[in-house]
Amino acid sequence: MGRSAATLLPGGLRKEAAWRRRDRSWGYVFVAPQVVGMAIFVLLPFVASLVLAFTSWDGLTELTWVGFENFTAQLQDELLLRSIVNTLLIAVITVPLGLGFAVIIAVALEKLKTRTLYLILFFAPVVTSTVAVAMIWQQMFRSDGVLSNAISKIFGITPPDWLGDPKLALIAVCIVSIWSSMGLNVIIFMAGLQNISPSVIEAARIDGAGAFRLFMQIRLPLLSPIIFFSSIVAFISSLQTFDTVFILTQDAGPDNATRTIVYHIYDLGFGRFEFGPSSAAAVILLVLTLVITAIQFGAQKKFVHYEDDPV
Amino acid sequence: MVWSTWGTPEELTRYEEFNDEFMKRHPDITVKLQPVASYSDYHSKMLAQLSSNTAPDVFYIGDDKLGQFVSSNRLMPLTDLMNSSASDTKPDDFFPSLFGAAEVDGEIYAAPNDVNSDALWYDKVALAAAGITEDPATLAAEGQWTTAKFLEMNDKLAEAGLTGTMFWNYWATHYGWISSQGGEAYNDAGDFVGNTDKTTVEAVDTLGNYFQDKKFVVADTLPEGAGADSVFVTHKSGFFAQGRYTIGTLKSAGVEADYDIVDWPTPDGVAAPTGVAASYLAINGKTKAKDAAFTFWTEFLSADGQKFRLTGGGNAVPSIKGADEVVLEDNYPAHAQTFLDMRDVGFANYPTEAAVPALSTDISDLFLGLYEGKSTAQDTLDEVAALVESKTGK
Repeated sequence: MGRSAATLLPGGLRKEAAWRRRDRSWGYVFVAPQVVGMAIFVLLPFVASLVLAFTSWDGLTELTWVGFENFTAQLQDELLLRSIVNTLLIAVITVPLGLGFAVIIAVALEKLKTRTLYLILFFAPVVTSTVAVAMIWQQMFRSDGVLSNAISKIFGITPPDWLGDPKLALIAVCIVSIWSSMGLNVIIFMAGLQNISPSVIEAARIDGAGAFRLFMQIRLPLLSPIIFFSSIVAFISSLQTFDTVFILTQDAGPDNATRTIVYHIYDLGFGRFEFGPSSAAAVILLVLTLVITAIQFGAQKKFVHYEDDPV
Repeated sequence: MVWSTWGTPEELTRYEEFNDEFMKRHPDITVKLQPVASYSDYHSKMLAQLSSNTAPDVFYIGDDKLGQFVSSNRLMPLTDLMNSSASDTKPDDFFPSLFGAAEVDGEIYAAPNDVNSDALWYDKVALAAAGITEDPATLAAEGQWTTAKFLEMNDKLAEAGLTGTMFWNYWATHYGWISSQGGEAYNDAGDFVGNTDKTTVEAVDTLGNYFQDKKFVVADTLPEGAGADSVFVTHKSGFFAQGRYTIGTLKSAGVEADYDIVDWPTPDGVAAPTGVAASYLAINGKTKAKDAAFTFWTEFLSADGQKFRLTGGGNAVPSIKGADEVVLEDNYPAHAQTFLDMRDVGFANYPTEAAVPALSTDISDLFLGLYEGKSTAQDTLDEVAALVESKTGK
């Protein structure tokens, strides 16, 4: 049998190891509130939701076990399918457009002397309550609101009924989502752009690359890890769209045009007191999120490039 | 003693005034209002509080959630207390058809705070603009307020480029129409029978056709900024099915002189029952202040309590006998008595629907499909029957 690692250490290092053990104990103490908080407010509700998904319970009467009934019923529920389609549409529209605009703005602001001012302006919606943001946009989208009036004057058409027309309501939600998440993505992309090694840029310039080619073939590929990270976060965030829909389109919009999965979960649980089906829908959302994230991770191998990748 | 409700700032102020008056009458009881601003958040909060035994002693319940709360066995049975000497609100003082799902097997678990029957408000200016010379309320008084006459007026309004009638899409609208046309949605056993009743199918067919022709309009789907209220006060619609709260809208727009009310038309001109919206007041079955809670409950619902809450441009109609003067005090609208007549013969949401949260909403969604031309009357009623059966076993 070999001797333990501790016995191999010289005396001074053994003392340091003891000090580290004490340090680690204090670390546990400091981390404990967060762990307890996570257990109570994340883990416990997660387990409760998982259990409730297999039961029938209205919050007041006795809980009864129904097996997979809630899952089969939900997967056949037209409203859930519609909310999945709406949610995916929001994600598919807002993620590429939001990230694309953010990259363009980050590049445009990079060399600007007054970029701090613009960054504050772009970042303002991020630190503003989404409820307040939705309420402001609700006023702008009114048929006599600023946006509708502007479109009416510029194009000489009848103002669109953004929030009353089922075809436009989802687009209105996407516009607000893109606008409110723009600032954070711009900041992240600017940091990413500044992290690209100047020597790589310089080498490309010496090789004769112009500004456009430099961006498309050097800077954008090297920014791809950041874009990948942002796309994961943005996609998950899009799948959880709720407050914008809840406030902006008065629950789920005309004819459920903006019904998202999280709104569906909320409506089943707190609107209809069907906590079993609501929890089943939450589990379905979890699985959907995991599948989409796995697909993104799979796809990243083709599209994400790192500075030290072999050429 | 703590009690809870939802409400607008104006309503909550009125309730605080009621609290102050109550505490003057009962110095030994301290009353605290625990308000929830939004109706949509109210019941889920109440549910959580009941589950955790922290619910208020007395609380409001909406007529779409009432059945579930009653069947939960968390509400105090009230029949004996209501019949006791401590009660200002005997069961017979209320209009019996308004208890709805609050009464199970002869036991009362809640009582209506006040009610709102959806009268047909009509705009004399819009009717005149469409060349209509007859006055609906006068026709009603003469027993000539028929469905044919009403539909003819809507045809003329549409020809003049105006909206005929605006309805909110909820249970009182479609069942009110069915009932006023002599049809039957539910039988006495609580089974949905509308899809097998010829008169009902014909009535719903007419309703659907008028919506599809845009002569009737679903008020809920009107665009932001051009909502039903603004359409109505700007003389763009002939009729609007709404409760007494419309008085406030018309007065604030300064156009009240142009409007009056009439009950819903019937094939033979004889008034028939229509839906009456209500909220209910219940006592927590686990309250530790049972006597104080009942004293508050009975005084809040009593004729004097309702007069206090509804006087001065009140927004509802009393649910109890002896307080009708609040509706007639201002002589506005000219036929304000119609509100009371409609209440007297009207009906609360069917207990079968009230027992299942959101069932009424789901049924309204099916009717919306009919109104938008996505379904026929027979198919819509068949879908409603299937939905009711799947949710209630009836």
